[in-house]
Amino acid sequence: MLDEYTESLLVFAGINIISAFSFYLPFKTGQISLGQAGFMAVGAYASGIMTVKFGAPFIVGLLFGGLVAGIIGVGIGFPALRIKGIYLLLLTLGFAEIVQVVILTWDYTGGAQGFQNIPFLKGGLYYIYAVVLVLLVFFARLERSSLGRAMVSIHEDESASEVTGVDVVRTKLLAFGLGAFIAGLAGSLLAHYFTYVDSETFNILVAVEILMFVVVGGGGTFWGPVFGAAFLSLLPEFLRWLRDWMELIPASWTAAFPLNRTYDFLYDFLDFENEKRLIVYGLIIIVMMIFRPQGLLTPDSVRRFQFLQRRFSSA
Amino acid sequence: MPENGNGFPLRVNGLTKRFGGFYALRDFDLQVRKGSIHAVIGPNGAGKTTLFNLVSGTLPLDSGRIEFESGVLNGLRPHRRTMRGIARTFQNIKLFGQMSVLENVMLGQHCRRCHSLSKTFRRTVFHGPFREVPQEREMRARALEQLAFFGLAEKAHFKATGLSYGERRLVEIARALATQPRLLLLDEPAAGMNPQETEELDRLIARVRDRGITIVLVEHDMNLVMGISDRVTVLNFGEKIAEGLPSEVQDDLAVIEAYLGEEETL
Repeated sequence: MLDEYTESLLVFAGINIISAFSFYLPFKTGQISLGQAGFMAVGAYASGIMTVKFGAPFIVGLLFGGLVAGIIGVGIGFPALRIKGIYLLLLTLGFAEIVQVVILTWDYTGGAQGFQNIPFLKGGLYYIYAVVLVLLVFFARLERSSLGRAMVSIHEDESASEVTGVDVVRTKLLAFGLGAFIAGLAGSLLAHYFTYVDSETFNILVAVEILMFVVVGGGGTFWGPVFGAAFLSLLPEFLRWLRDWMELIPASWTAAFPLNRTYDFLYDFLDFENEKRLIVYGLIIIVMMIFRPQGLLTPDSVRRFQFLQRRFSSA
Repeated sequence: MPENGNGFPLRVNGLTKRFGGFYALRDFDLQVRKGSIHAVIGPNGAGKTTLFNLVSGTLPLDSGRIEFESGVLNGLRPHRRTMRGIARTFQNIKLFGQMSVLENVMLGQHCRRCHSLSKTFRRTVFHGPFREVPQEREMRARALEQLAFFGLAEKAHFKATGLSYGERRLVEIARALATQPRLLLLDEPAAGMNPQETEELDRLIARVRDRGITIVLVEHDMNLVMGISDRVTVLNFGEKIAEGLPSEVQDDLAVIEAYLGEEETL
């Protein structure tokens, strides 16, 4: 149905959306984690062990991967309760580093050679988007529930929140653990789609990218991470498309000095086979922080959209 | 003093709180009669807000004992105390600015309902992802009622930061009342209000008391305190210097000295 290239593109976007969700949930309670890549690694390896070493079906591996990541997440969540902001960032980063070192030195799962021969998941695309759909429903419901409000209140003012009767400890642990669970699912799906993972699959850059999905998309509503992840995943495609259009510019137009250098530079810049995408990511972040620090989508913009929708359907 | 606590839901004994070498509260006793309005007054830094922080659990105490109704509160986390029936407001208003006024008040009901994750999710399966569930509708209706009590129903959908100072104070009281307390701690509710608003607040506090809620009030505005309080405790430098009916306290020499002492030396 879909050609291989489009499919892998959608798979990437889907996994990114799931991992963005995994960051978004603890973020709702004000916990910023750079350890989501670590939880993805835990999920990937736990589910891989389940399917490769024990021959379990994929679904069992998927849930097992999520569960192990979730349990470790609650474990990390306890010390995370007491620390905030930049210190929490460092704690979670430290956790991700530990995971990487463990993976690198654990011969049972291939050590530095990486975890090989993970069974390929047929119809992985559908599994991934099924998970995305379930999460969408979950977050839509959470946003309009008392539990969701409690999470937002913790983000805003922890002491006011607990005096208003919110069990801050339980709610924060729940958010952190569940975020880790979701990251575990993402890692597990990724491992079974690519059939090979190693410690570099989940390095710090992955964690930073996940953070960017939410920062760019907007952390105030669950549509933010969806939009941010989809946007940034498809951005290279868009730039490639721009590059194709550039080729249509007649060569005679860009023959003279300033234009020919500019053309070459841009043409090179839009080549996304290499790490140059990080330059664009960096630029986007800088521009966003100046002009729209709250992210592209805010609760207000979602409300406005719903309002338009209602008017449209009643007209 | 009755020890069984029947007529006195809040009993504080020998309460001490130190910040380094500074005693914010020292060996402080307090009994609050059920259904009364009890004012705690005193100059700045006398330890009034510290008292509230200790009773509501946002600060750990050094020594002493806080009892509410039939239980001891020592060591309980703040939300547990809220569930037992103690609510409070803050001197510097602490509303959730990103939420609407209505959502702020709805959050107050959070502790009175079971909101486990599994329930949140189970309700999703049966009610469709985007429709409002009955429980949510109920909470909303209730919060609107509460806002109407404070004359803020038409501002329900405003952002909390979009209200005037006085209105934000009222919303905070509404949020505290939404937790269904039996004891309400009001930390300087009239601060920053104009005389009209203060008068309105006066009536509201009396109406809250008439619902059977015991109120402890920390206040600077002497007119408000003297008008509505049944009993007044005066604090200075963390110690109780007087207690009694408003009229008694007003004439107490130690109180006059605490409030006006500096001027006398001029």
